[in-house]
Amino acid sequence: MAEVSGGQVARLAVLFERYHRALFRYFVSMGGHREQAEDLVQEVFFRMLRYRTSYDPAQSFTAWMYQIARNAGVDQSRKRRAVVVDIDSFTGLVSGSPGPEESASRGQDLALLRRAMDQLPGDKREILVLSRFQGMKHEDIAEVLGCEVGTVKVRVYRAIRALEQIYFALEKEKVS
Amino acid sequence: MTCEEARIQMLGEAEGKDFAAHLSSCEACRNEVARIGTLWQSLDLLPVEEPSGKVRERFYEMLAAYRQGLASAESRKAYRWGQLAAAAAMLAVGLGVGYVARGSGQPPAEVSQLREEVASMRQLVALSLMQQQSASERLRGVSWAYQAEPSDREVLGALVTAVNQDTNVNVRLAAVDALRRFAASPEIRRAVVDALPAQTTPLVQVALIDLLVDFKDRNAAEALTKLAANRDVNDGVRQQAQWALEKLQ
Amino acid sequence: MKKLMMLSAAALLAAPAALPQDPQKATVAFSDPSRPKKLVVDTMFGSVTVRGYNGQEVIVETTGRAGIRPRGRKEAEPPAGMHRIGGSYSGVEITEESNTVKVSNGPSPFAAADLVIQVPVQTSVSVNARVGDSVTIENITGEIEANNMNGQVTITNVSGSVMAHSMNGKIVANINSVTPDKAMSFSTMNGEIDVTLPASIKANVKLKTDHGDIFTDFDIKLDSKAAPPQVEDNRKRGGRYRIQFDRGTSGTINGGGPEIQFTTFNGSILIHKK
Repeated sequence: MAEVSGGQVARLAVLFERYHRALFRYFVSMGGHREQAEDLVQEVFFRMLRYRTSYDPAQSFTAWMYQIARNAGVDQSRKRRAVVVDIDSFTGLVSGSPGPEESASRGQDLALLRRAMDQLPGDKREILVLSRFQGMKHEDIAEVLGCEVGTVKVRVYRAIRALEQIYFALEKEKVS
Repeated sequence: MTCEEARIQMLGEAEGKDFAAHLSSCEACRNEVARIGTLWQSLDLLPVEEPSGKVRERFYEMLAAYRQGLASAESRKAYRWGQLAAAAAMLAVGLGVGYVARGSGQPPAEVSQLREEVASMRQLVALSLMQQQSASERLRGVSWAYQAEPSDREVLGALVTAVNQDTNVNVRLAAVDALRRFAASPEIRRAVVDALPAQTTPLVQVALIDLLVDFKDRNAAEALTKLAANRDVNDGVRQQAQWALEKLQ
Repeated sequence: MKKLMMLSAAALLAAPAALPQDPQKATVAFSDPSRPKKLVVDTMFGSVTVRGYNGQEVIVETTGRAGIRPRGRKEAEPPAGMHRIGGSYSGVEITEESNTVKVSNGPSPFAAADLVIQVPVQTSVSVNARVGDSVTIENITGEIEANNMNGQVTITNVSGSVMAHSMNGKIVANINSVTPDKAMSFSTMNGEIDVTLPASIKANVKLKTDHGDIFTDFDIKLDSKAAPPQVEDNRKRGGRYRIQFDRGTSGTINGGGPEIQFTTFNGSILIHKK
């Protein structure tokens, strides 16, 4: 087993500082409690440490990291029978005060949008999260999901269409 | 271009005359693009989740434990070889008696080493943060450096560099404050005295002067006198330097 | 890299000697609005306002200062048959590169343009007003840095991390939430620091003022190591909780959390509960 040199430790620490928040957001968006998400972040870094030799420098780092993240998520959901999607645990920012989102006008109800996201089927939600929130390039998403680059664009479009339909259905419910 | 094709284009760089041409002739698609565009933009407004500080603690402890685990695995291997060698030697001498097995260090030694490892992880965080491009990250790096040990030369060096060279006033202020703990180190006291003439921001000059007073460092008298007499220096700072000179008498 | 020269474009209008005073507007798109965005503003003179809005692009509006003329210099008469091109002040320059939009204002004292910039709510903002007037930042979620030489810094309805500094000027901030693990810092040489934080905030505060008082309606648990301050608690009589001490101290609010640093030389520190 290769020793973890001081240099490698520093590098992993830098990677941690740079990516742990985005990873956390990814896991929370995929429908986990905050605690589950924190456990999963820990698991991802542990696996990155253990399997560091399997990383091919020619490959995109984010693609490798998110592949590990997805596997970790899947493994965890196999351990528990169901990943509980608890809408109340999606608490948002630290304080309870209304944030800038409240001043968004044009009838976009953000609470409704959150619920619509949560009701999206997992694979559609994931591709929206990866492209919109994690800001990943289409090539990297293709690598993570194991599909063609062209397919990514189509899938993103289908995902946002599905989100739109759920959102408007929820809106109608609210009014009635 | 069919409607379906056009709509798929819109979320990418919707380039091409085909896309524009289709939109100009197709009201249904125009509406769709408008609606989806709004929704897409609104996603940006969803609040962003942040992890708690526990995540970092656990990560660094895991890292330390991992190194520790490797280290003791290595030493256990060495121990085993040592055992075999000793046994072989014994046999060679013809004695079959057992020998006192050297017990591997149990919890106390491991825990203190683990704590050391965690401490050195903290130093790594401080150093890596202090080199970041974002001033906010550098400020956080200085906060981490607060817990550094006097023996940690690298972190102290980074703090002094931050005082002298960081481009952000608030980071420099925080770095001056972080040096407060190291009054006992003659090197740090020297560095603070040297930093004074080099600093041009009044608020940081004042912070350095106040620190020198708290350090009760008489070596600062010369630098303070020069500062108090310098017409180019902010009046408030000159008065503070004067006050400091009196305090240090 | 995209580059826009704003007023020079307008200045190409063959207007006679009068200074252009109409507001000018330009819109710049980020390379990739779905990735982290940053706005950097670097100006010499003039006020800066940055406002988050419900959109994806950066909208820059500028109003030149009326009646600013080079002192002691008279406008030269255009030679017969010719007209002047170019205003008598240099323009505002806007560039975009890798998701960072930079807006800068020339060094000429006559280029005193007031800038109003709208950006997507989730954008990191960095404003440096070298001589400056006032700096106002509102409705932003992200990393905020504001530096003003002579003038007030006002930051409202924001979340994230704030680092604000003014040499001569008050700092007023109203923060909605602090992201955990992000530090904040407010400093001014001559001026008051007036900050409003959510009542439930958890923070470690560091307070330093050489000539000024500290007022707060938070319950700040002060560090025991600090020199014991004089505390006046007039809250029951409808007054404030006032801490008066030597120069600097630190403490925790609601058990502690990310660090917030307040530093002033001539001026008081006020920390309000929302």
